Parts: sequence; C-alpha cells; structure tokens
Amino acid sequence: MSENYEYILKTEHVSKHFGKLEVLKDINLSVKKGEVICIIGPSGAGKSTFLRSLNQLEKITSGKIFIRDELFLHREKDHTVDRLPHEKQQELLLEMGMVFQRFNLFPHMTVLQNVYEAPVVVRKKKKEEGKAHAMELLTRVGLADKADEYPSRLSGGQQQRVAIARALAMNPEIMLFDEPTSALDPELVGDVLNVMKELADDGMTMLVVTHEMGFAREVADRVLFMADGIIAEEGTPEQIFTNPQVERTKSFLNAVLEA
Amino acid sequence: MKFLKKYKKPIIVIAIIVVVVIVLGALKPTEQEMLSCASPEMQKMIREDATRTRKRVTVTYESLIVVNYLSLSTSGAQEISEHYVGFVRNVYPADEGPMKVVGQMVNYTYRMLGCGENLMHGAKLTILLTTLTVIFGLLLGTVLALGKISKNKILSGISSGYIFFFRGTPLLIQLFVVYFTVPGIFGFAWRDIFPASDAEAVYKGAFTAALIAFALNSGAYCAEIVRSAIQSIDKGQYEAAKALGMTYGQTMGLIIVPQSIRRMIPNVSNEFIMILKDASLVFAISLMDITTISKNIMTSEGSYLVFIPALVIYLVITAFFGFIFNKIEKRFSVYE
Ligand SMILES: Nc1ncnc2c1ncn2[C@@H]1O[C@H](COP(=O)(O)OP(=O)(O)OP(=O)(O)O)[C@@H](O)[C@H]1O
Ligand SMILES: [Mg+2]
Repeated sequence: MSENYEYILKTEHVSKHFGKLEVLKDINLSVKKGEVICIIGPSGAGKSTFLRSLNQLEKITSGKIFIRDELFLHREKDHTVDRLPHEKQQELLLEMGMVFQRFNLFPHMTVLQNVYEAPVVVRKKKKEEGKAHAMELLTRVGLADKADEYPSRLSGGQQQRVAIARALAMNPEIMLFDEPTSALDPELVGDVLNVMKELADDGMTMLVVTHEMGFAREVADRVLFMADGIIAEEGTPEQIFTNPQVERTKSFLNAVLEA
Repeated sequence: MKFLKKYKKPIIVIAIIVVVVIVLGALKPTEQEMLSCASPEMQKMIREDATRTRKRVTVTYESLIVVNYLSLSTSGAQEISEHYVGFVRNVYPADEGPMKVVGQMVNYTYRMLGCGENLMHGAKLTILLTTLTVIFGLLLGTVLALGKISKNKILSGISSGYIFFFRGTPLLIQLFVVYFTVPGIFGFAWRDIFPASDAEAVYKGAFTAALIAFALNSGAYCAEIVRSAIQSIDKGQYEAAKALGMTYGQTMGLIIVPQSIRRMIPNVSNEFIMILKDASLVFAISLMDITTISKNIMTSEGSYLVFIPALVIYLVITAFFGFIFNKIEKRFSVYE
C-alpha cells in the first residue's frame, strides 16, 4: 500500500449527537505516522466517543474522516455523503487496533486463541502461522506461559496485555487505547503501561485516552485536552502540563494532579 | 489418563454397577429353565400346543435386564394361569403373596418401557418425542429469537405474536388443533401420510401430529431462552469482534452463540424436563406412552399399583437427562 501520505489519520469538523445530546462538536485532528497522542479530560468529555467514532463503533453525525489522506467517510446531518467502497473501508479499518477499558477478551477461548482467532478468520492466515505469531506477541507482552489459560484465570493487568497482543496480531498501523488502565488495581497498571511504552518506542502510531498523567507526560508527542465535546487545548506534554493556557485545562490538571 | 483421574469416582461407581448388572443378568434363568418349573399339566398342554394350530396356552416371556417374568394362561372353560419370576438362578412362583406383586411390577415396567415393541411405545416413545421436540424447538426458537431481536418491525412482530400465542394457550388444545382441526379443515388424515400397508400408520400419524404440536409449542418457550441468552452477552464482546474486523456472521458464530449456548443449558434442561412431563398429554390422542399404558393397565386389570412404577420410570428418565445436562454444562463451563 502507498506510503505517500501526509496524515495517517485526520478528522475534519467531526460531530456526534446522541439524540439531542451533542457529545462531539467540530473535532479537527491530524495524526502523523508514528505519533503518540494522549487524550485527557474530565468524564463525559466525549473522549471514548471520539475514539469509537474513528473505528466506526459509533457513526458520526457529520464531518469527515480521512485515513492515509483518503476520504474514508463524509457525513452530514446523519447521512453519508461520501465514503470509500465498503471493502476498502473494511480493509482500512483493520489498520486500526483497539484496546478497551474492560479488556473484552473472549472468555470461551484460551489466551492463545484470543490472539490468533481474528488473524485466522479475518486475515485468512494459516492457523499454524497465526499461532506462531500469537506466541511471539504473548512473549512480547510477557505472557507466553499463560497461552493455554482461559482469560478468567488471569489478573486484570494480564488480561489487558493479552488484549493488546490480540489487537497487535492484526498488524495494525494505529492503536487506539480507551483508558486501558482505568479498570486495573494500581499495582497492575505499571506492567500495562510498560508494554505501551515499548510499543510507542517501536514507532507505533497511538491514540491513548488516559488518566495516567505520568505516562502522558513521558510518552506522548502531543497531548489533547478534551472538555464538553471539543478539543479545548492541545500541545506538547511540556506545554500542557507546565504551562496550560486555557482555564479549564488548569483547573482539570490541578484537580487530578492533587488527587 | 487425565480424564480417568478427573472422573475417578463416577467411573468406579458406574463400572461396579455395570459389572453387577452383567453378572446378575448372566445368572438369570433362561426361558427353558423357567418353563420347566411350570406345573406338569401346563407343560403337557404346551407340548400338545406345538402341533396344534389353535393354541390353548398363552405364553408371555419377558426379560428385564436382571429379572425374568413368565406368564402362562389358558383360554377356555376352566382358565388356569401360572406366573413365575426368575432371578439369579432361581425361579419363584408369582401367583400370590409378595411375589405376585413383584411379578406384576416386572410385567408393568416391561410394558411401560415399551420393551419388545418398536420405538412408538412406552418410555421409548416418551424419550423420542421429548428429544425430537427439544431439537426442533431449539431450531425454531433460535429463528424466532433472532426475529424478535431483529430491527425489522415485521419480523419482530411476527415472532412476538407467535410467542404470545403459543405461550398463552394450553398445550393440550394445541395438540387437539393439530391432530383434529387441521386435518379436518384441510381434509386429510394423519395416518394417510404413511403408506396404507404400514400396520403402524395410525400410530405414526398420531406421533407426527404430536411432534408437530409439541415442537411448535416448545419453539415459543425456546425462543425466550435463546433470546435472553443472546441478550445476556456483554455488548463489549460485539465491539471487540467488530474492532478486530469480524463480520456480523463471524461475530455471532464464533463469539456470541458459543457463549450463549453455555448460558442456555440450564434453561434448556428445564425445558426438556417440562416437555418430558407434558409428553404424557399424548394419551389424549391414544399414543401408547408411559402414561397411556399405565392407564390401560389400570382399566383392564384394575391394578392401582401400576402408577408407582410409572412414577419411578419418569423419575429415572428425569434423573438421567438431568445428569447428562449437568455434564454438558460443566463441559461448557471450563472457561469460567
Ligand atoms: N450510547 C450512548 N447513548 C447516549 N449517550 C451516550 C452514549 N455513549 C455516551 N453517551 C454520552 O456521551 C457523553 C460522552 O461520553 P464518553 O463516554 O465519550 O465520555 P468520556 O470522555 O469517555 O468519559 P469517561 O472519562 O467517563 O470515560 C456522556 O455524556 C455520555 O453520557
Ligand atoms: Mg470513556
């Protein structure tokens, strides 16, 4: 596939309504390949909705989404104005892996099967190949010894690392993380964040909704502060954490950093 | 090996029971040995019968795993009858006292189980009807459930109406409608769907009607079982599957349905037992199930004790299938 694009992901004027409630208002964001973007903000700001709109778990009300500079989807007033052909869309969506707050592992499959199932049934990989790759990924997240366990036998932190391996097994170019450590006991957060750091160091493009300010500060190339459905402020971690300009950012940071 | 270790206790128990039954079964007297205990008079008549076209003695020999029952009776002016029970190399006269009751119980049980008859009789009929009903009921129920949760208003309306109708009317009336009303309106008879040469055509026709009525009814109950199981699966499972690029079909087939099946098992087990008991309603269309046979024995022989082995048979069947469903559930629960 062509590598000659400027932005791997871009949104223009994206908005999203749930009934009368306007959850996203005119979101504009451009992401370059390899960028790590952390999204912070108060509860209800629309952070999850934004991530879910990107990989089509939610349908946007209006706006444009570009993937690799191609107009992936254009909607106005809840109607699709323009989009790539369905098959092309599916193909591009596979380039986006997603990690959920509540892991959402498949409980009836072993850890290994969780990881190789989609590559085998969706990417039509050979089972043996899929298993070998899955084992590699599990080794990478430090869970090779748990391959034959069922998810229910694993701690939250281990489950989340399996979920990351599962998403990586599809060889995505972009990884979306929606508060991947919020459901974890504090002592388990570190392992998951370390896996994510390694991913970032390997050059993965990442959009991470997080409450882990330390992580955002250390790993992010850019930090977005979202509130009430808009990107209220954005900048380098340095700018956002040491010298926020917007009043809402300041009060939010004061509140979380004090806690 | 692992399997042997895990189920050590039940395997030993089952093995002991099997061995005991085989030994007792092998030790029971043969028909010849039983006959040799009959009175000389009766034996003489039987010998003479061998060369006669019109027999005087009716010989009924019934072998029930570990016990035998032999009933000899003559027709004619002075009726005489003799009964014997065989157990572990011994033959006991069973014309009076406690042995008579034992003999009757063996005889009734033998008949209610449908031994020596084809699949359309006794416990075999009950089990066959129940099993087929659950299978068809589940298939129909799955279709109805998918219809009911579908966004298509017409489909979900039809499914809801169907479920409302079949749960809101008595099964017995539904059975009558299928058995009497439908052929009445459309001008056919259930026995005619089998070749006239088939001696059991009437039975098979009635069985077909019963199966249709039961499956239609069970479909409505299974629909609710399937629907609630599917809807109990966390929305996150759909989202994870979708985020991995699975189609709706793959998501349902690989992720949602396998998990729903596990959750359905206890309710399906209940439904199975309900149908097993409801199956006794077929006595209303003269099918020879356990209930009908017991009722007939009561009427023709005045034996009020017949209902006790009938209850025991039902209980044993219920316990057996309860055990099977339990095992299936455990099987599916390894991941919890
Ligand atoms: N499916 C839905 N239907 C209706 N309203 C919804 C739905 N999903 C989210 N919302 C609403 O949209 C708003 C934004 O929700 P969202 O989950 O995106 O916030 P968030 O920034 O991720 O918050 P949190 O930090 O609590 O996860 C909230 O007011 C929420 O109640
Ligand atoms: Mg959220």
